[in-house]
Amino acid sequence: MNDVPAGVSVDRLVRAIEDEVRQERRERMVARGGPDDYRDHRVYAEVERVLRRAAEREDAGTSPLLLPELAADDESLRLQTHLRFASHRRVTGGFLVFAKRRLLLPLTRWLYQYARDNFKRQERINRLLFACVEELAIENAKLRGELGARQAVPPPSSDASQ
Amino acid sequence: MKLACVIHRFGRDVAGGSEAHCRAIAERLAARHTVIVLTTTARDHVTWAEAYPAGESSDGRLRVHRFPVARQRSLARFFESSEVAFGGAASEAEQVQWFRENGPETPALVEHLEAHGGEYDRVLFWSYRYYQTFFGLPSVAARAVLVPTAEDDPAIRLDVLDEFFSLPSGYVFLTPEEQALVARRCSQPLAPSCIVGTGLEPPPATVGSLESVGVTTPYVLYLGRVDPNKGCETLFRHFLRLQDDTVPDAARVPLVLAGPVNMPVPDHPMVRSLGYVADEPREALLAHAAVLVVPSPYESLSIALLEGWNHGVPALVNGRCRVLKGQALRSGGALFYRDFDEFAHALRFLLAHDADRRELGRQGRAYVDREYRWPHVMDTLERFLASLPPVSVPPRR
Repeated sequence: MNDVPAGVSVDRLVRAIEDEVRQERRERMVARGGPDDYRDHRVYAEVERVLRRAAEREDAGTSPLLLPELAADDESLRLQTHLRFASHRRVTGGFLVFAKRRLLLPLTRWLYQYARDNFKRQERINRLLFACVEELAIENAKLRGELGARQAVPPPSSDASQ
Repeated sequence: MKLACVIHRFGRDVAGGSEAHCRAIAERLAARHTVIVLTTTARDHVTWAEAYPAGESSDGRLRVHRFPVARQRSLARFFESSEVAFGGAASEAEQVQWFRENGPETPALVEHLEAHGGEYDRVLFWSYRYYQTFFGLPSVAARAVLVPTAEDDPAIRLDVLDEFFSLPSGYVFLTPEEQALVARRCSQPLAPSCIVGTGLEPPPATVGSLESVGVTTPYVLYLGRVDPNKGCETLFRHFLRLQDDTVPDAARVPLVLAGPVNMPVPDHPMVRSLGYVADEPREALLAHAAVLVVPSPYESLSIALLEGWNHGVPALVNGRCRVLKGQALRSGGALFYRDFDEFAHALRFLLAHDADRRELGRQGRAYVDREYRWPHVMDTLERFLASLPPVSVPPRR
């Protein structure tokens, strides 16, 4: 596969569109009473960069998130969107599972599907929020590292400037 | 070489991206090799109901061996299995069961590969997600070449694929993004691979008018199945929101949908659904479109996008799909968006800037000429197949 040909640059056009959209969105948010800090376009751009990276990471869906791993029981954080049919009764259990699957579920499928779609949305929101928290934690860790490195370097002595 | 091409459905009347890709490649390989298509008796991609007789037949240069479908797909069981498998905590057995429920379940085809796989120099499998690939490939792994047609969807995240993707002796990918996606899912280095995409014939020198479909220019074209899985719900939301915008501008052109409809289409004067269209009006719609829109979030290769570029039509594609974004950047033939605001700005730009739009279309066409003509595609594939090491391992029984 060859490189991008000369002519109109897609990358340049898309960047220009993204800049326009960013500017308009920032102005709209400020006009609607959004955070005052967004009056500074650099702050807004940085916030957008961090949140977008988290959203894109969540979009990809393949990268693991740390927060659920750290939870004592990550299963308890996960919405269970599917039905598991089971019965603890030894004798009548088979019949009860059959009745649930073949009679009750078809009758209540519309309600199940409505709830399931909403559970899925909630699950996506949860993952998005986990990804945002993680992205902010990464930023924080990097900033701490940079701050630590700066503090370790002694400030230039006043003699040196004379 | 004696080659087997394994595919879940096969027939001149079978629609579907991977099926069409398999057919086109198999027919061209048959010009130089003995090619046997190993497939099923299914035609319907939802139920896998038997439609063709089991047994051997010929189809042009191809020999076709069809194996019976043991059972039709139960959608209730398949959805239930999908919920479990993609829920994030599925056991290995539950994940394997998903491949069984996805079907089409053809144990006789798998048995054929176990018994006769050694008679083929190479066995090419299309689409990792179907029964005959997932259960059939392991028995002929040393001679297997996988065309995964993988998309960045929940199925690719199943843990059992880590081991599965380490089995084939070679890979044929449709895009570099698909190659990267499969490599990410496999903890071992991938087997040798090539990227061939697909081939297109140059567009007809003359195309018909739009009269037969009752469409007038300018229009934005969506080509393909109208389906939520193809991003059409979001496309409709974005497009209608753009129409509701109070600022009058050049973006007020109708959206024309050309393809079978699997979902409700908004009842709006600016949205026109033509349903399935035959080849001739399809070419005309492509040739006269101002912009082709491709909103799909999951793609392993967008043929519609290539067809648009084949006619010199620029595109607006979903930038959240890595494949589409990659194709846009490599070709220089499409803009991409991630949300409504970017969609609106990009569409307005394309419709208001004729020179840029034409140049983007020209760049797209040049990209197709460079990468997606049959002689180039088949030359790459033939060289790749010849480069694979000879097979010395007998098939597993």
